[in-house]
Amino acid sequence: MKKRGFADLFFLLLALYLVLPVVATMLYAFATKWNKTILPEGLTFKWLATLFQDAEFIQAFGRSVLLSCGAVLIALLVIVPAIFVIVLYFQKYEKWIQVAVVMVYSFPGIILAVGLIRVYSKLGVSMILVVLGAYVIGILPYIYQGTRNSLRNVDARQLLDAAQILGASKFQAFTKILLPTVYPGLFAGALLSFSVLFGEFVLINLVVGSRFETVQIYLMKKLSTSGHIASAVVFIYIVLMGLVTFTIAKLTKQSKGATNG
Amino acid sequence: MSYIVIEGLHKKYGQSTVLTNIEMSIEKGEFITLLGPSGCGKSTILRILAGLTDASAGKILIEGKDMHDVQPKDRQVGMVFQSYALFPNMTVKDNVAFGLRMQKITSAEIEQRVQEMLETVHLSEKAQAYPKELSGGQQQRVALARALIVRPKVLLLDEPLSALDAQIRKKLQADLRDIQQKLGITMILVTHDQEEAMAVSDRIFVMNNGMIAQSGTPTAIYTRPESEFIASFIGHYNVFTRQTLEKMIGELLPQGYSKFAIRPEAIHLDRRQGDVSMAGVAKQSFMSGNVIRTMFEGDCLFTMEQLHEREQRIKVNEKYMCYVAREDVIALS
Repeated sequence: MKKRGFADLFFLLLALYLVLPVVATMLYAFATKWNKTILPEGLTFKWLATLFQDAEFIQAFGRSVLLSCGAVLIALLVIVPAIFVIVLYFQKYEKWIQVAVVMVYSFPGIILAVGLIRVYSKLGVSMILVVLGAYVIGILPYIYQGTRNSLRNVDARQLLDAAQILGASKFQAFTKILLPTVYPGLFAGALLSFSVLFGEFVLINLVVGSRFETVQIYLMKKLSTSGHIASAVVFIYIVLMGLVTFTIAKLTKQSKGATNG
Repeated sequence: MSYIVIEGLHKKYGQSTVLTNIEMSIEKGEFITLLGPSGCGKSTILRILAGLTDASAGKILIEGKDMHDVQPKDRQVGMVFQSYALFPNMTVKDNVAFGLRMQKITSAEIEQRVQEMLETVHLSEKAQAYPKELSGGQQQRVALARALIVRPKVLLLDEPLSALDAQIRKKLQADLRDIQQKLGITMILVTHDQEEAMAVSDRIFVMNNGMIAQSGTPTAIYTRPESEFIASFIGHYNVFTRQTLEKMIGELLPQGYSKFAIRPEAIHLDRRQGDVSMAGVAKQSFMSGNVIRTMFEGDCLFTMEQLHEREQRIKVNEKYMCYVAREDVIALS
């Protein structure tokens, strides 16, 4: 019993350590005044309302969504068919994708940013497009893993053969069988990519800067002016990410169910 | 002309030859088995018939029509895979209906035909289940129903029962033969299990190293093996060199053959008219259900099989005279 008590206490402390900053930030987003007291003196929706009336925030939010979604969409259109073709017909080349996946992780953001600026700034290409391109490559690992894991659970090549013998064209076999089979894993990968890109700050700030204000850049600006507003931004961000995580968890469970046995 | 004709079929992957000069003619409604050890090229023949793999040389005719350049989807060939290849995202009913949907058949007709087919394979109550919710045997029946419903000209079965346990396998073998007879469909089964081949086939093509080693009815293959490979692959034939066997039976054998085979159950202990005899000391005895298999040591080792009887007649380490009818000594080429 004594040992158990110690474990519980340790767990409680750990939970406090992890949860307290998040809860405090969220509370601060709703606090009227919170200077000398342990808990806020009062609660208000003022900060959240201010935020939503601020056209700058709405625009920044829109830019972040547009940039992240755009990169994810392009990645889905380009990377997913490539992965399918490689897994189905050119398995010996798959190791090169795995190398590319590791390369993506191993690049420090600062080197990437400086490199992009050096190469592209003189070419007259919009730096926003350059960042978009870097994002597409950056989420390769998530899209690859999402698709590959779903494909690993089924013998995709044999499903394709079976469908063709039953009278389906290659395209029909792909859209009616393979795509629905990998869909949950693929969607989870896409959501994960979206949330990673939505929180990306280094690249966009260094390469494009405040000319193209995303939620992260807006947040940094507000940190120095109003803690309440900044907390409200974080609150919205956490709610959004919570929704995304919840959806991913649900999809992952589904896809496990769909392919087991 | 036969219903399905395979002429001079060759297949190479890079440097390695998988199939050499395969010739087969199959009649409509026949149940054919391609039997052979794994890696002998039997599955490749099925894949070439289905159009999933291209042949390096040779010709395939189905109902007199050359299949060269005909897409898999237009060949009207059905296939059941070893791992079933059921579509995991579809229910049993949708899996079975898939082939009909591809043919743009009215949904009323699809509904009716799917129901009939599910009754044929005894799976009506599982129509709404997903493949993962079914047992291996049930999944295999869905795969069979899905292939049969489009009424293919020929049904190809690639080791469809090898992943199932013995009891279900026996049951499905009987079911398979039953369905084949009822629908009068031409089937080509690939297997490495010689008992399975014997149980279901009209004719067997035994394959080895990418070639057809022997073909014929199950009885012909079993009682008249033409080569040492067939003799040892089918059943547990005793294979002797001419020299050893002549010494053992004490008489000369027909000229022109170097090896001879004797079925273990053709050897017996009681002398009959015209038998040849060979002496041996009983060594080990194995009992496998209804059969007792005894190893004898004479001038070489040989095996005898008897039906299990209440009284054990053979004692280990005692010398016996064994007898074989003259026509059961089979010359191998």
